[in-house]
Amino acid sequence: MTEYEAIIGLETHIQLNTTTKIFCSCKADSWFDPPNTNICPVCTGLPGALPTLNKAVVEKAVLLAKAMHANLLPLSYFARKNYFYPDLPKGYQISQYDKPIAVGGFLDMPMNPANGQSYIRHITIDNMHLEEDAGKTRNEPGRRLIDFNRCGVPLIEMVTGPDLRSADEAAQYLIRLRQLLRWLGISEADMEKAHLRCDANVSIRPKGASHLNPKTEIKNVNSIDAVKEAIGKEIERQTNEMEAGHKIETWTLEWDEDAGVLRKMRSKETEADYRYFREPDLLAIRMTDEWRNAILEGFPELPLERRARFIEDYGLPEYDAEILTGERSLSDYFETTVKTYKGDPKRVSNWIMNDILRMVNEAGKPAYELKLTPAFLAEIIQLVDSGTINTSTGKNLLGKVETSGRAPSKIVEEEGLAKVSDDSAIREVCAKIMAASPNETASYKAGKVTLIGWFVGQVMKEMRGKADPQIARKIMEEMLSQ
Amino acid sequence: MKDPITPEVFAHLVDLAALELEPTQAEYLRLQLNHQLKAIQELESIPLESNVEISAHGVPYTAEISPAPREDIWKPYPEPADIIKQAPATDEGYIVVPEIPHITLK
Amino acid sequence: MTMNPCDQSAVELSKLLRRKEISAVEILESALERIDQVDGRPGTLNPGAITDADKQKVHSFITLTAERARAQAKEVDRKLKAGEDPGALAGIPLTVKDIFVLKGTPSTAASKILANFISPYTATPVSRLEAAGAVTLGKVNLDEFTYGSSNESSAFQPSPRNPWDTHTVPGGSSGGSAASVAAGEAVLSLGTDTAGSIRQPAAFCGVVGVKPTYGRVSRYGLIAFASSLDCPGPVARSVEDAALMLKVMAGADPSDDTAANIPVPDYLAELEKGVKGLRIGLSPDYFRITYPDPTSGELLMQAISPEIEASVRRAASLLKEMGAEIIEDVPMPNTRYGIPAYFVISRVEAASNLHRYDGVKYGFRTPEPTHELRDLYKKTRAQGFGPQPKLRILMGMYVSAAQYSEQYYNRALKVRTLIRRDFDTVFDKNGAYRLDALLTPTTPTTAFEMGAVYGDSVLMQYADQLTVPANHAGIPGLSLPAGLDSKRLPIGIQLLGADFSESVLFRIGRAFEQATETDAWRKEKPGVLAS
Ligand SMILES: [Zn+2]
Repeated sequence: MTEYEAIIGLETHIQLNTTTKIFCSCKADSWFDPPNTNICPVCTGLPGALPTLNKAVVEKAVLLAKAMHANLLPLSYFARKNYFYPDLPKGYQISQYDKPIAVGGFLDMPMNPANGQSYIRHITIDNMHLEEDAGKTRNEPGRRLIDFNRCGVPLIEMVTGPDLRSADEAAQYLIRLRQLLRWLGISEADMEKAHLRCDANVSIRPKGASHLNPKTEIKNVNSIDAVKEAIGKEIERQTNEMEAGHKIETWTLEWDEDAGVLRKMRSKETEADYRYFREPDLLAIRMTDEWRNAILEGFPELPLERRARFIEDYGLPEYDAEILTGERSLSDYFETTVKTYKGDPKRVSNWIMNDILRMVNEAGKPAYELKLTPAFLAEIIQLVDSGTINTSTGKNLLGKVETSGRAPSKIVEEEGLAKVSDDSAIREVCAKIMAASPNETASYKAGKVTLIGWFVGQVMKEMRGKADPQIARKIMEEMLSQ
Repeated sequence: MKDPITPEVFAHLVDLAALELEPTQAEYLRLQLNHQLKAIQELESIPLESNVEISAHGVPYTAEISPAPREDIWKPYPEPADIIKQAPATDEGYIVVPEIPHITLK
Repeated sequence: MTMNPCDQSAVELSKLLRRKEISAVEILESALERIDQVDGRPGTLNPGAITDADKQKVHSFITLTAERARAQAKEVDRKLKAGEDPGALAGIPLTVKDIFVLKGTPSTAASKILANFISPYTATPVSRLEAAGAVTLGKVNLDEFTYGSSNESSAFQPSPRNPWDTHTVPGGSSGGSAASVAAGEAVLSLGTDTAGSIRQPAAFCGVVGVKPTYGRVSRYGLIAFASSLDCPGPVARSVEDAALMLKVMAGADPSDDTAANIPVPDYLAELEKGVKGLRIGLSPDYFRITYPDPTSGELLMQAISPEIEASVRRAASLLKEMGAEIIEDVPMPNTRYGIPAYFVISRVEAASNLHRYDGVKYGFRTPEPTHELRDLYKKTRAQGFGPQPKLRILMGMYVSAAQYSEQYYNRALKVRTLIRRDFDTVFDKNGAYRLDALLTPTTPTTAFEMGAVYGDSVLMQYADQLTVPANHAGIPGLSLPAGLDSKRLPIGIQLLGADFSESVLFRIGRAFEQATETDAWRKEKPGVLAS
């Protein structure tokens, strides 16, 4: 049997998290609004209404273009894409066509298959278009209900070349894209809320071949799992067809997430001539060097770059680096803590992965919003390192600092949490315990030295954990053998 | 010369335009379209040097006269209900239209 | 009929008002009385037979908003009494072409498909005029969606008639605007010009019409025809009134990205500066027209009406006497391509602009049962649109289809560039011509008879041949009355200038008015006013 490889390209639609819509001053997010309440003459296509371009949409697109190494065009234009659909109030979508905001670009995506060699997949980007989202429609028996709230939410359409080679790679690309969008702060990228949507173009060919076979387009694959599953099924279907000697036809398929099956769409719906032409109601976007530089001021290090640097500079295992760079604020948190702490970065990583991540998840807020600042975390680790407090006191301190917002050293001092290393205090307690436990003292002296653990435990209990257990044991042994 | 817009081409245009026409009106409109096309065909005889750019607007919109893009500030529209009130059929805030036939085969 | 307040100029009425010699309510009542005398019944969707009595009236209006106007006029009088500034156009009766939306009133575009649309918002030019105190009498008729040059295509019949001779058309598409101003029903009117739709009816009705530079006036709330060409502009009885009105309307608008960011000059302050030293051109390409033979389609070339040419030449010599320099034989070689290019560009944009009328969100929805959405679209659009919108949609579909767009649409946009270059060359300050303006006829003929051209969509379009180049190029144009022809129909002459040079055109127009102040034709009144 011939071995096949898949050729996959993804067309993604990214909702930008601007305050307002792309062409009017309605707010962009209407997730909690009743139908048709977040609308105006512009986004409902009333006669005479005109679009006005939201500056923030361009700014966010510039950030994404930079991150994807895409080239911004000095002059880009909007175009009308004409078609009838009830969720499209003007009967055309304002999009871009021959002169989009950015062209070209790529993402070098690390792949770490569970069983196999790690590798980098180079994914090219054709172009990035700015456009407006359509409304939502809902089917009811015999009728359809329309809600225009979503009309005009800004979208970036970003299309990859046919560079992905498996369903796993396609899924990984979406994961990386989602991470990047959140990292840049330009989209919430929540696939369940359709902030990030995906259509996939799939074809197969014998491994090693260089030609491209006819492809199918799968619409509506809107979760990471769906991408994996739908593409996997389509590769399997095409393989079977080809093995059976059939030709692959350029169908448009729709992924039915509930049933887990691909369906073919009626051909008439897909053979559209959108009659693109330049949008006369909007002017060119002028991307001057000045504007671009202002937007890119303070452009962040990107997640994959930072991941590599964490491994290189801090000697972190790949696993740690991946988790710590999963989200920008967490990675900043880690790095600030390391810089203040000045000790072994792996030790900071352990504290963050064991404890801080859980706190972040429980609080449901990003790491930088914790009252337990990186400086406080560094201080706690240092207190443990210096033996001022023991590890369990240190872990308890995390919660205390987070609730109070007070400096760890202050809390240690006020609550007397420091380890007691003063001999005389421990000797006093040891003597008290020996006096209170004549039987145990006798047994020990008679040779049952294993009781030392019980004695140290009593000391620690009496001193509410503040004693250094090693010192307590040494003094207790000394006094019992007198 | 044969009319470029034949009844078949015309029927396709009518469909694209989401129209339907009475035969007599269709024939009148088709005739007018072919007349207009004759006038339009004069464009093909115009010598165009390769350096002729397209003009989306007659007035050149230089940077100085182009308004700055809109600031991203929310200004809620005061009466969204007045917009929906214009729709021929609504239900609980939704606009209602007839069914769109199923798009899937098999 | 004697001189009534509604026959005075806006500038004169403003003075009387401020001197408290007249009230805004008195001015309004005079306009309403005139409407009552000359307008006849307003256009409606089901007019029944057009009677002989109908044929004697002007029929400017679709919707008369008399009560709203009374409230506005009373507010002006209140402000005047209280010593508040009532605005530059306080108390001036205004009609608005029913292609602009006005909150709370029917905004129909003279189409059945929008007949029941009550706009929830107001167009920027209208709100600026009203903010300056103008009193809106109502919405006036036009060709359906502005698609025509005679107003006969309006879905609201009887359609407007020319006040000079009600058997002729008022021109179009701003026919209701020009007719209402010519007949003294209003002092000012707000129109739109896409290929000549202000200037041509202004010429036919003997009034002043201005197509400002594209981007000079916001299009927000103007129901779009060809978005890259549409320009709102004033219709008035004098250059001074037109300048006053444009000053109020013009300027950048946060609701229109194509409204240019250029300060608006004080046109009135410049108005009386005269024409001394101005260079005014005459072009042979504007004294002839090309048009296709209705049967063979063969292109014919023909001189324009000699009476019109004589009016233009007389204007040139009068301006010369006043100190202007007249430059003859200015070549404008691409003028003749204006109409073919327009056929393509305007249809592509119109087809797209008309996509939104589908019976879903507003306006007309077919009363017939429909089993699926596509059926609803088709029936609604088939029954809601008249033949002119249908023609434009179908032509737009044809020339913008993927396989034709290079051949037609992109080519037309390049031809637009050529037309623009003609103007750039002659207005170039360092060029061979260095013109301040080009003086041309506005139209090849005076007003034609009702029914004479209607039905032939090609011939109708060629009526715009001398006006459409300015729309392609985006430059401003001004049409001025320059006399009456042998049929006692008004003749219009046109001034074209460089981008945003409206104040120069107003100066020249004002000088021409002064030079012809004592002409006999200036005392003539439109037929409907001759008692
Ligand atoms: Zn809106």
